Amino acid sequence: MKVIREKPAVIQRPHNFCAGCSHGVFYRLIQECVEELGYSKRQIIAMGVGCNCNLTLSKIDTVDKFQCAHGRAAASATGIKRMRPDLLVMTYQGDGDCGVIGLGETLNAAYRNEKITVFTVNNLNFGMTGGQMSWTTLEGQKTATSVRGRDCAATGYPIHLPEIIAGQFRPAYAARCAVYDPKTVAQAKKYIRRALEAQINGEGYAIVELLGICPTNWGMSPVQAIEHLQKKALQEYPLGEFAGGEQAELAFLRQEAEK
Amino acid sequence: MQMAKKIMMKGNVAAAEAAIRGGAEFFAGYPITPSTETLETLSFRMPEEGRVFIQAENEIASINMVLGAAACGARAFTTSSGPGMALKQEGFSYAARMELPYVVMNVQRWGVGLGMLDSGQVDYLRDTRAGGNGDYRHIVYAPDSVQELVDDLYEAFDVSQKYRMGVLILSEGYLGQMMEAVELPPFKEIRRPDWGLDGTGEVGLKQLCPTYNMALAHELLPVRQERINRVCREMQRWESVETEDADYVLVAFGLPARVCVDAVRRLREEGCKVGLIRPKLVFPFPYDAFHRVNPNVRGFISVETNDLGQMVQDVALAAKRELPQRNVPVYCYTHSAGVPRVQDVVRYYRSVLDGAVKEVY
Amino acid sequence: MKEIIFAGFGGQGVLTGGLLIAELAARTQRNAVWMPAYGPTMRGGKANCVVKFGQTPEERIGSPVMEEADVLVAMNVPALDYLEYCRKDCTIFVNAHTVPADQQLPEQAVVVRLDCAELAQKAENPKGESLVMVGAIVRRLGWFDEDFARSAITDYFTGKGKGKYAAANVRAFDLGCQEVK
Repeated sequence: MKVIREKPAVIQRPHNFCAGCSHGVFYRLIQECVEELGYSKRQIIAMGVGCNCNLTLSKIDTVDKFQCAHGRAAASATGIKRMRPDLLVMTYQGDGDCGVIGLGETLNAAYRNEKITVFTVNNLNFGMTGGQMSWTTLEGQKTATSVRGRDCAATGYPIHLPEIIAGQFRPAYAARCAVYDPKTVAQAKKYIRRALEAQINGEGYAIVELLGICPTNWGMSPVQAIEHLQKKALQEYPLGEFAGGEQAELAFLRQEAEK
Repeated sequence: MQMAKKIMMKGNVAAAEAAIRGGAEFFAGYPITPSTETLETLSFRMPEEGRVFIQAENEIASINMVLGAAACGARAFTTSSGPGMALKQEGFSYAARMELPYVVMNVQRWGVGLGMLDSGQVDYLRDTRAGGNGDYRHIVYAPDSVQELVDDLYEAFDVSQKYRMGVLILSEGYLGQMMEAVELPPFKEIRRPDWGLDGTGEVGLKQLCPTYNMALAHELLPVRQERINRVCREMQRWESVETEDADYVLVAFGLPARVCVDAVRRLREEGCKVGLIRPKLVFPFPYDAFHRVNPNVRGFISVETNDLGQMVQDVALAAKRELPQRNVPVYCYTHSAGVPRVQDVVRYYRSVLDGAVKEVY
Repeated sequence: MKEIIFAGFGGQGVLTGGLLIAELAARTQRNAVWMPAYGPTMRGGKANCVVKFGQTPEERIGSPVMEEADVLVAMNVPALDYLEYCRKDCTIFVNAHTVPADQQLPEQAVVVRLDCAELAQKAENPKGESLVMVGAIVRRLGWFDEDFARSAITDYFTGKGKGKYAAANVRAFDLGCQEVK
């Protein structure tokens, strides 16, 4: 049998995320891109607090990681990047870390157009603490703190981080992806790569949100969770690029055509 | 002999210049009275020296930026006051967990909550203990003059990296705002340590950070204890004024200590046997100073600019530890905001003699 | 050790006047402290500062706040409140422009009156009231050499990027000197 793709060299051990969790695929795609761009030995990841901590816990790789305070990854990544502008500096966070407790740090880093790349996994709830409501939780969705289903009139409506950042600031890149089938995996990898290239080329801030599944806290099998994601979550959280990438190309082409 | 040139400098401005000369490579902070002039000065001086300055969105972000820079081995610096220092506490705890060195200056302002703009020594207990979760300490300098502030900041980055601990400069509003004739030291060569994140994943912090690994945490226990013990041994620093024969010994740090020097002089002229211990660092507390006072001392008087009395607790512990056979009374003069005048200290001393005030311990 | 209180309204150059005296001490290698009114006070119209300096390079300054001043510079009537922090035999430099001639002052004090506003106008330097006072202090008390003071004032303002006002400031200083003979 011909091996067409090796796992990234830095990944040495299996992860310990729950069965079906999207984290493993997403993180592997990030490291594939980092390797292809030649930055495997020149990268630092500022880690959020949440399920993503399992990456550090399970010691799956040899990558330099910095364990940040809950929500503060974008601030710590700023300190790292300013001291080591030669390195590829990323954050790896959940939706709670990046878009709830750390919303201030996330938006302010985007506001400054800090030359970092933010990766955030949106699984519609707080996974690590056992499935409580997040700002990303869908309307009507049952969680440990919205047991009758989320009442958005009382708790706020689902937050769309890449869209907010693309709409209000001037990031180099903002996109949302998923990893539930080969097509979305290929798309996700393209987005991740563009987000990293934006940093390498000195263009500025980039964010990629992964719309992931959480079979454990959703109380579903992985297959059911994927179906739920396709049927429900995608209605609220469309995949695509909101700033940079093809958006930028299209804008450029439109501008050229007008001339 | 040629003397170095003395120039008039504001405490906060001199602190900024001393930090740069001491090798500060990175600063992140947020404006807050009465510490702002340090940030303002660094906003143009750091780029002039090719170093990093960030005006952060808030106090929490600024300490977390400092942690990121420190994780790369940089000499990182931040400043704040009052409620701003309160917000930074979480970051200090995270730094302690990863044994990250950094320097923070607290230009104390009096009061709770939003507080006032007045000077005061209200953060003593928090800043000499752990303000965030978990057990850790800062090495805490307590300068009493702009020159000592300069000297402390100049040394702080070295000390912080030597022990891999945060160093806190416990300044106070008046010290930041007043000007004094100072001599500035020469620029230090910046050296990065051999640990810290470099992107290779090979040297990095991860060997030092016991992330959620309790077995490793227990292995670290003796290491952490030995470090604190070393600091307590090696960083005993104080100034004593006529304590050998003193019946009563004043204990004060920062600007009130200077008032106490004058109070001792005045009382000595009147024949009162009074002395002074001025801790130059308040953590570790200079227990050794108490070992050398008159063994028949009749009382210690802690002089502080707060309302409830804070350092008096450490004075009582020092009295118990160094004079264990005797139960020496420990009094506390709490002046509230500002700086006491000599006559205030003298009056309190007399009320101790009269028995008008009772000992706290 | 010498202690001087400068007090008056904001805009009368009270802080600068005090700072210049401290500069003169620092430039002769002595310890000097300049403490401004700080905190809520500085937001209002009142301004004051206290300056202390050693008489030898070795002398250290203890208390940095107002204790028992040797000199009070009173640019207006409310400034006389600070007599509370002065020695009974202190020297009071009174701005005759704002403080009436019949103002009650302590008997033991030495009083020096001069119209700072008028002299500053004469020096074509209306903002130089405090420089007039500095001149009067330097000549009357003899703590600093006058030529040294002139060059230090020029150097100070030049160092602050305000060199173009240096000549006018020295003029105001000179008129202050002459006024107290």
